[in-house]
Amino acid sequence: MSISFNPWVWVAAFLTLSMMSFLYKDNIFYKIGEHIYVGSSAAFMLIYLWYFDVKPKLVDGFMYNTGINKWILIIPALLSLFMLMRFIRPVAWISRWAIAFTVGMGSGLGITGLLQGFLVPQIKATFLPLYVAGSSTLSTIYLSLNNILMVIGTLSAIVYFYFSREHKGPIRKVSQIGITFIMIAFGASFGYTVMARISLLIGRVYFLLHNWLGLV
Amino acid sequence: MREFLQKAGNIDRRIIYLLILSAVAITILLKVSFKSTPLPEVKRSYDIINSLPAGSVVMFSIDYDASSMPELDPMLRAMLRHCFEKNLKVIMLGHWPLGLPLGQIALEDIARQYHKKYGEDYVFLGYRPGLQAVMLNLGKEIRSVFSTDYRGTPIDSLPMMRGVHNYNDIAVLIGLEAGSVGDMWVQFANARFNQKIILGSTAVITPDLYPYLQAGQIVGLIGGLRGASDYEALVKHPAIASAGMASQTVVHVLIILLILLGNIGYFATRRGK
Amino acid sequence: MKREIPLFITFITGVLLVIALFIPHKPFGQLQQTFNDWLIIVGGFTMILGLDSLLLHNWEKIKRKKEGWISSAFLIASFFITLFWGFGEGIFAHRSPFDPSATFLRYFYTYVFVPLQATMFSLLAFFIASAAYRAFRAKDGNSTLLLSAAALVMLGRVPEGQKVAPWIFAFVLILLAYYFFKEGSRTSGTQKTVYMVLGVLSIALIYPVFYILLHYLNYIADWIMNIPQMAAKRGIWIGISLGGIAMSLRIILGVEKTYLQ
Repeated sequence: MSISFNPWVWVAAFLTLSMMSFLYKDNIFYKIGEHIYVGSSAAFMLIYLWYFDVKPKLVDGFMYNTGINKWILIIPALLSLFMLMRFIRPVAWISRWAIAFTVGMGSGLGITGLLQGFLVPQIKATFLPLYVAGSSTLSTIYLSLNNILMVIGTLSAIVYFYFSREHKGPIRKVSQIGITFIMIAFGASFGYTVMARISLLIGRVYFLLHNWLGLV
Repeated sequence: MREFLQKAGNIDRRIIYLLILSAVAITILLKVSFKSTPLPEVKRSYDIINSLPAGSVVMFSIDYDASSMPELDPMLRAMLRHCFEKNLKVIMLGHWPLGLPLGQIALEDIARQYHKKYGEDYVFLGYRPGLQAVMLNLGKEIRSVFSTDYRGTPIDSLPMMRGVHNYNDIAVLIGLEAGSVGDMWVQFANARFNQKIILGSTAVITPDLYPYLQAGQIVGLIGGLRGASDYEALVKHPAIASAGMASQTVVHVLIILLILLGNIGYFATRRGK
Repeated sequence: MKREIPLFITFITGVLLVIALFIPHKPFGQLQQTFNDWLIIVGGFTMILGLDSLLLHNWEKIKRKKEGWISSAFLIASFFITLFWGFGEGIFAHRSPFDPSATFLRYFYTYVFVPLQATMFSLLAFFIASAAYRAFRAKDGNSTLLLSAAALVMLGRVPEGQKVAPWIFAFVLILLAYYFFKEGSRTSGTQKTVYMVLGVLSIALIYPVFYILLHYLNYIADWIMNIPQMAAKRGIWIGISLGGIAMSLRIILGVEKTYLQ
């Protein structure tokens, strides 16, 4: 491998280094890079909106659908238009209709999703047998202990976040067990977060060393 | 001695930055490589895809963007390799508009390497807003959400899509997740339509997905760069994730040593007081 | 009317979806599908809310030559260049800007957009390392537990971590023993005995900890992730879900109205 002669790779490398320069201190190169990112992602969203939403769903819908399927599109088209009214101050209030629709849908979907897709199956999965027969005494103890820990961990973590009553007496004891589990979970999450962040850096350094400088 | 220890707990942040950067760069430059045994949940994901008969349809959902590309892009590529090697059909869509082109670029790239034809072996549907609404309506009829692919070609004119209508026709859904879309897939596609799901996720959100794995709501979990490198090893095509794992080890050790140093400094200062 | 109609819309849509969960047949199931379809169309427009303030704010900065106006100029310029490039591809080259052959995807997205976003987030690697060094202190039992779990997972989830972890943990135990003996020598009575016992215990643990980590670290990391970690996360998320459901109900029933402001 040798150094890249593709000018676009140089642009990417320059932008990468500009962003990294922030580590030394805040500077104009970083600021410009950051602003280009914000500006272009806003425009990118608009382009996406047209190509993956407005055109296929509304424009093509009006052009190719027939009968009721065509005319019913007037409702979402109007709601979309209402959403844009937010940019015109005197009639901005009408955008609330569209927002109310999305919020209502979001809430309805939220309730049903969480209820059917999370709470019920997760609670069901916590009803575990506290005695599991394994192939040996040791495995029986290990498997049973795991199940017991899963049940205790889940219940005590819930109790820890139960703020409607003061934590004293048995609630305090259980919530203290809960915090032990929660600390382990946060530790594990921290470990995984470190892993994730380092991976991102590895990706960029690999780009600079491989795609740009051709050293590896 | 105590003064030295106290100073050890107060190193300038730029020196730490330099240490981290050097650790990553030097390990990559030296091409250090470490081997590891694939995690059970990754192996399970591999086995599930491996057991699918040729011609089965697999749906990929690109729910990440460039901010988590180094973890999920290698994962996607390794899984696409596996799918094309097994002659599975691939449908790709996604919920993160800023990142979807990454999925598309990887799909085109790997498909070309395996001489796969667009429309016959793979299809890129693209994006629709609405998240859960999209997931629910896909369960009724894909055409109600995507009447055309990203180019505007009607779905029915793509040979691969003719018999594909809803989740019943999709063997496995693979969600590559950097946020909460994976939860939505589980809560809507799995809970309501019983769709078999494998989630590939950034390491940040991986711990939150273990409850789904234990409850059987997802059948496989591939977490972070480690998961990606495991999958690369399983498909016998080590690439960028495998190359990065050595840096990962070195930096993890470095960070733990830094934490240790910080604590030594902290205790030295505390005792001093 | 400006408040009542939106509240009514929210109520109707929310309630319909809940009913459709329990009665997925006609007319609720079908209505749900239609509403979903409308959300797919309308939902996209929420993405552009805030666009006006972003552009106006930066335009103002340029006009008044406020501090940082140069970067604001880059923001506006990049916004329009991206917009024209993307739509230009469709208008002039008659292809989607997301076609693999499109210059928008091949050049702008790959070499401008992706490096900017990816690098911005990669900076977090430095910040997390520095923050861990500065703030991660084993002050008490809970923080020590958190720290230990983090270290076990960080080393247990990377290749060759199993070979390094025993040395790190042995070193920590030696440090602990040193600390306990030193403290013990400064105190007297029961306190001294406790410190000395702790010191001896730290030394006694070195070999078993070394042995266990050398042979079983990966399993320990697996176990942490699958048992205590999973249980706590489940508990936390059950709590969050209950909160989410309560919040959604408040919105649907019109108790929570902040979104209308």
